[in-house]
Amino acid sequence: MALELHPLEQFKVEPLIPLHIAGLDVSYTNAALFMTVAVVLITMLLVLGTRRGALVPSRWQSVAEMSYEFVADMVETNAGHGAEPYFPFIFTLFMFVLSANLLGLIPYSFTVTSQIIVTFALAAAVFIGVTIIGFIKHGAHFLRLFVPEGVPIVLLLLLVPIEILSYFIRPFTLSIRLFANMLAGHTMLAIFGGFAASVGLLALLPVALDVAIYALEVLVAALQAYVFAILTCLYLRDALHMH
Amino acid sequence: MSDDRPSDALARLAERLDKARAQDSERPAGGSGDNAGQQQALGIGFRIGIEFVVAIVVATGLGWAFDRGLGTRPFATIVMFFLGVAAGMLSVYRAITGQSAAVGFRRPPAGSKPDVNRKD
Repeated sequence: MALELHPLEQFKVEPLIPLHIAGLDVSYTNAALFMTVAVVLITMLLVLGTRRGALVPSRWQSVAEMSYEFVADMVETNAGHGAEPYFPFIFTLFMFVLSANLLGLIPYSFTVTSQIIVTFALAAAVFIGVTIIGFIKHGAHFLRLFVPEGVPIVLLLLLVPIEILSYFIRPFTLSIRLFANMLAGHTMLAIFGGFAASVGLLALLPVALDVAIYALEVLVAALQAYVFAILTCLYLRDALHMH
Repeated sequence: MSDDRPSDALARLAERLDKARAQDSERPAGGSGDNAGQQQALGIGFRIGIEFVVAIVVATGLGWAFDRGLGTRPFATIVMFFLGVAAGMLSVYRAITGQSAAVGFRRPPAGSKPDVNRKD
């Protein structure tokens, strides 16, 4: 059998329930399905996990509490004081990205975070939200963010555009980082899986590699969710405190 | 259930916790600290890998779009490319010096460094 590899086929968005409203394609796709699954799982974990509220927590309760404490700690250390009102958003963001990443690792499932439009929508929401918060808290003074302190005026002509550029690049780096990591990891898994299917007895080698990469992918899934949340915290700190 | 059940369970838990803590303190110190440091390093490593490239690509793309819109080809593309390189280097520099994503050259106040300072 010839090598038949379709490592990118797994990222295809397919409508499950075709739906067209006012000329717009709003079909319920496999991506939407896995987003729904992620949201339902998180809700179940947190609602059922904390339902009994035992002093000595059960396994599920401690998972729910650990994730809450982890994010609360992250918000406190990285976003500083005054960031508490935004904790629910960051917690939701972290849990959604984490569970979407982990769900994607289940064979035959769909990785929502491997779609750049999904990660970009999340990053754009963070970016726009943080910018609005900055302007509400500091007014026009927020623009001082782009003017470094103690720099000669001549250099400012060069530095201010660089600062503005690096500010507007944030949503892109935030979304592309998550998207590229997911895309690369899953493509790699599929390629080695394809090798294994086509080389017969030698398959042991690619399968062993796949196992190793899979372990790495679990780490990447958790780490990228962490990085996404922590960067949101840092952006929020800029808007709240401006140093 | 009688009233003393919960406190009984708590007493047993306290005993077990004490035992576990005693065991934990026997281990060489710094084990968990190292772990946190490693996690942080890993987080930074995974973060900056893409920072530089994206900055250049996005900036150059923006420059190209300006050129198309204003008919100034190729000057905006060239200028924006170099600005992108600068912005990318700046963000990588900030990420590794612990200033993180802070725009501006101000150092964060002590204690607010972006790390996982788990207290217990």
